[in-house]
Amino acid sequence: MKKWGIAALFVILVAALVIYIDWRGRSYEIEEGDKLVVVSPHPIEFMIPLIQEFENETDITVDLKSMGTSAAIDSIVNDDNVDIMWGGSLLSVGPYIDNFYSYETPNKKDFMYTFTNENSAVTCFSDVPSVLMVNTDLIGDIDILGYKDLLNPALRGKIAFADPGRSSSSFEHLVNMLYAMGDGDPENGWDYVESFISQLDGNLLESSSVVYQGVANGKYAVGLTFEEAAVTMLKSDKHVSIVYMNEGVVMTPDGIYISKNSKRLENAKKFVDFMTSKDAQQYMASDLGRRSVRRDVESSILVVPRYKINNLPVDRNRVIANKDKWIEEFNRIRKEDDNG
Amino acid sequence: MAKEVRSFQENIRRTFIRFSIVPVAAIVMAAMILFVFSWLTFMASSNEQENKSASEEIAGKLDVYCSMVDKVAAKLKKENYDVSKNDVFRILYEDTSEYGDIGNLLIMSPSMEALFSSKDHVPVFLTQSEYSNWGVWNVISTYKGQTKVTLYSGNLCVSKGIYEGGRLQAAVVYIIPKEVMSSVISNQNRYVIITDKHGWVYTANTRGLQDEFGQIDNTISSEVGFVKLDGNLYYSYRTELKKGLIVYTVNDVNRSVHMIWAIIAIIVVIFLAIALITVKSTAISSVRYTRDIKKIEDAFEEVQKGKLDVNLDIHSSKEFQIIGDDFNEMLEGLKEQIGRNKELAENVAFSQVKQLESQFNPHFIFNTLDNIRFMARIDAVAADKMIVSLSGLLRYSIKEVREEVTVKEDLDHLQYYLNILQIRFNKRFAYSIEVQDDIMDCLIPKLLIQPLLENAVKYGFNGQEKLTVSIRGYQMQEKLIFICEDDGAGIDEELLEEIRTNLKAENNTSSHYGLYNIHRRISLMYNGDFGLDISSKKNEGTLVRITVPKRVAE
Repeated sequence: MKKWGIAALFVILVAALVIYIDWRGRSYEIEEGDKLVVVSPHPIEFMIPLIQEFENETDITVDLKSMGTSAAIDSIVNDDNVDIMWGGSLLSVGPYIDNFYSYETPNKKDFMYTFTNENSAVTCFSDVPSVLMVNTDLIGDIDILGYKDLLNPALRGKIAFADPGRSSSSFEHLVNMLYAMGDGDPENGWDYVESFISQLDGNLLESSSVVYQGVANGKYAVGLTFEEAAVTMLKSDKHVSIVYMNEGVVMTPDGIYISKNSKRLENAKKFVDFMTSKDAQQYMASDLGRRSVRRDVESSILVVPRYKINNLPVDRNRVIANKDKWIEEFNRIRKEDDNG
Repeated sequence: MAKEVRSFQENIRRTFIRFSIVPVAAIVMAAMILFVFSWLTFMASSNEQENKSASEEIAGKLDVYCSMVDKVAAKLKKENYDVSKNDVFRILYEDTSEYGDIGNLLIMSPSMEALFSSKDHVPVFLTQSEYSNWGVWNVISTYKGQTKVTLYSGNLCVSKGIYEGGRLQAAVVYIIPKEVMSSVISNQNRYVIITDKHGWVYTANTRGLQDEFGQIDNTISSEVGFVKLDGNLYYSYRTELKKGLIVYTVNDVNRSVHMIWAIIAIIVVIFLAIALITVKSTAISSVRYTRDIKKIEDAFEEVQKGKLDVNLDIHSSKEFQIIGDDFNEMLEGLKEQIGRNKELAENVAFSQVKQLESQFNPHFIFNTLDNIRFMARIDAVAADKMIVSLSGLLRYSIKEVREEVTVKEDLDHLQYYLNILQIRFNKRFAYSIEVQDDIMDCLIPKLLIQPLLENAVKYGFNGQEKLTVSIRGYQMQEKLIFICEDDGAGIDEELLEEIRTNLKAENNTSSHYGLYNIHRRISLMYNGDFGLDISSKKNEGTLVRITVPKRVAE
């Protein structure tokens, strides 16, 4: 009897403790209507000011998740809670276009013509040329004008390149190489890719951010990256320079993609409208080094105007259709190079 | 289910444990729970307290800055946008002097030119054209004429646009010096994080609890109270300020939880040690306390075995001493009583034996006297011999005062009886006596063998012409055995059984007192497995055997 009394006392005490702890807690979960879940492969520094402004203007709180392009695609396709994928080139999302919600932003009327005739599941956000980023302190008197110069034996092991299977900017470069060095037929470009891979000396990096940071921090002399990353490095006073490949530059827009399963469609549309608005595009072009898709926005003084670049046209459908095959081929050559 | 009866010592031991370990354990556990409880309460309430005081301080400062911006704006409007630098500085110093940093107060023209800057430095997000509808400018144009607090690229800005007729005339922007805000939270002993309403961190006294973007962790922002984050436990509280900032105070409960676990572990170890010692010591002390009980138990056991000369010697405690003394006294009384009883029993036995001895069968005397009368007529010599024998026998039976006689003596006197039988039955009766010489001096009860002969004659002549009786005596293993065997008619099975049953009884209930008397006398005189047994077969004869202890005359 007495034992039961003591046991009961303890149970009551412990229960009181648990209830107390629970009672102390209160939830401040943001209401669904004020929320938006965004996944993005953009650099963090690029995203923060845009997201902050979006939040201040719309009072929608963005749950932002930074990840690589392929992870972001995986996320938006498989995670019902994700509303928007922000970034990732049209080439890389090509095969997944059926998972996106069709939305035509009112801002489209102000887009440059090249960016208007896309599928309505895709809204172009910015134009991203692939570039070479050179560390001006380390390169010495080696002239870098294009892909051909990367085969200079003095650069062996000093080239930063990310795995095209993981990083979309690396895949863009692979496509760029195949087209530029294959004289219009990408299948003719593999000889160059083979030489290029042996120049890497086994260094294949994890993600695109490692590429531009590696060059800026002096770990590598030259990196294959995208324009905005190079501009950001330039703006933060890193000793780098941007080289637009003289063999030709592939300029692929990246976009904003709304998930077909989004439960916050209104907010997602607001996000697309905001990001393609003149103010946001103007700010992005001036301060973040990214080329706008709008006609009425001027580019940063740090980048070469579009017309001065040797723009290399690619057959987007062919690229999308061959993406897996090319990455496979790249990996096969890399393995051969590793073994040999 | 049968419950095992435990020993007194075990009970004492259990009582010790129950009333020492269990209550102490219960109290310690209750105290621990209450301690945790009150500690949590204390931590939570002090957290909330400090959160509120920090929030009030920050809100107060924000109020000061906002009113200052309002004052400058009002002054501008009043003076038609032509205000001397000194006037602006006066307002600025008036309101911010106690904070030690005047901060950067800017007056901007609608075309994004700085008309005034208290620090001669204008941030790009106010002057560059791409910001004309971005950031702080966006806030100014969205909330026309309102004083707003905005967090932009790490700066907390108070801004107000002065509109007249829907057209912007000028804007007043004050960039709050971060030091002033940080000083509120830097000397707190818990994590304090100040964010805007979307979770962007303005200032914090920790680098933790934020994500890579510089936003406060989702878990912290979406819940107050006890929050689990990356396996660590925190207590968080938040206050939302009217100006759009949120102040979070977060306690790292982990270290305290570890401390509590450590304390619990130490207490458990101490407790186990105490329990072990207690169990051991109660075993010892319970033995000590119950030693007297054990003594008493042993004494009783001794008494039970028949040893009455035990003595309980107890001095440990008064109660047991009284029990011991009483026991001794009781034992003395018991011994005395037993002695008295024994004496009494001996007296009774003696008188009984005497009485039994004297029971001669009156039939015998009558028959003998009848024979004598008959003999007197035909054979005077034989009659004389019979009278002599009878008188000798009677004298022996009444005159002998001693209880025990030697075998020889008894046999000598048996001769009288044999003489009488011989004369009485003449040739029909024959006997033989074979008693070993070495037992002649042994002591036996008086008239031990005579009843056997009497019994043989009584049952043996039942329709029989001739009777032969043999008497044997010998010793075997410190016992004397006398056997009386005849070749007479024997005894019926029924009668034999009756005799045997009768022998076992305390009192004689039949007329077979010859055998009964001798058996009773033997059992009264000697303790042990002594006495008489009888076996008989119809028409073959009877055998009676007497067993008595061997005792030699001194």
